[in-house]
Amino acid sequence: MFICKDVVENIMEYIDSELDLQTLKELEKHTGDCPECMAFVNTYKRMLEITGKLKDKSFVTPEVRNRLRILLKSKVKPV
Amino acid sequence: MEIGFFKKLIKTIVSDDKDSITNDKSDEELVKIFAETRDEAAFDEIVGRYSDRIYGFALRITRNTDDAEEVLQEVFLTLTKKLDTFRGESKFSSWLYRVTANASYMYLRSQKKHESNISLEKYYPYDEKGTLMGRIMDKDWSSRPDIIIFSKEALKIIDDSINEMPESYRAVFHLRDIEGLSNEEVANILEITIPTAKSRLHRGRLFLRDKLSDYFHEWRK
Repeated sequence: MFICKDVVENIMEYIDSELDLQTLKELEKHTGDCPECMAFVNTYKRMLEITGKLKDKSFVTPEVRNRLRILLKSKVKPV
Repeated sequence: MEIGFFKKLIKTIVSDDKDSITNDKSDEELVKIFAETRDEAAFDEIVGRYSDRIYGFALRITRNTDDAEEVLQEVFLTLTKKLDTFRGESKFSSWLYRVTANASYMYLRSQKKHESNISLEKYYPYDEKGTLMGRIMDKDWSSRPDIIIFSKEALKIIDDSINEMPESYRAVFHLRDIEGLSNEEVANILEITIPTAKSRLHRGRLFLRDKLSDYFHEWRK
């Protein structure tokens, strides 16, 4: 019988659609009956949406880029 | 003045042509061009494509902007010398991330920086019976509006929380959930097994979900 711990331990495969059909059915049945697990799955999905946004963040400042460019210009020489 | 304008225009056109020659090339093609001819435009294109990713990954491991910049410069200097040793057995981006990881770890070791020793074990959300009873719903923040969920403050909280993880966890988390690489690529870059990569990712995500729950719960108060 599926318990909350099983939802937690299968959440990655669930998100990546990698669960076998039987496990998927049991997980969705448990989640449908368990508001705590439903909240867990929903907050987990929202968290992934937020972390996905961090990909758009630019890390390198123009100053860092410029210092790199100057350094490389002095080092990259034609063969 | 007109002559100056046309000179500038021709320069722009030539420069655009040069850019278009490199823009549509794959990473591997650019590497080949640079290795064979030391073509600066090819190398500039590689720098343009990867400097942000290398710096971001180095910053995630070292957690210090000066250190990350040192790693960034070191990685590209290494590339100018060793790019022709890239054999194409893995994707160029994977190879580059591995070079970055190794440089960052060497930097960390040489600097003897304080590392996080926080245990992620306690962030498993279920109790000893394996239930979530009374542990999640009270802090359910999933239906909060996007304007709050994606606020600068929330993004900073998650960025800071990732940096609280031990180094081996945040490297996996960064590559998988921020850079969007597959479990296999992450394992390959960090030279760990796929189950290890998945286990670290799982613990890291549970830790972060918990941190965000605390943050949004406090925010509501």
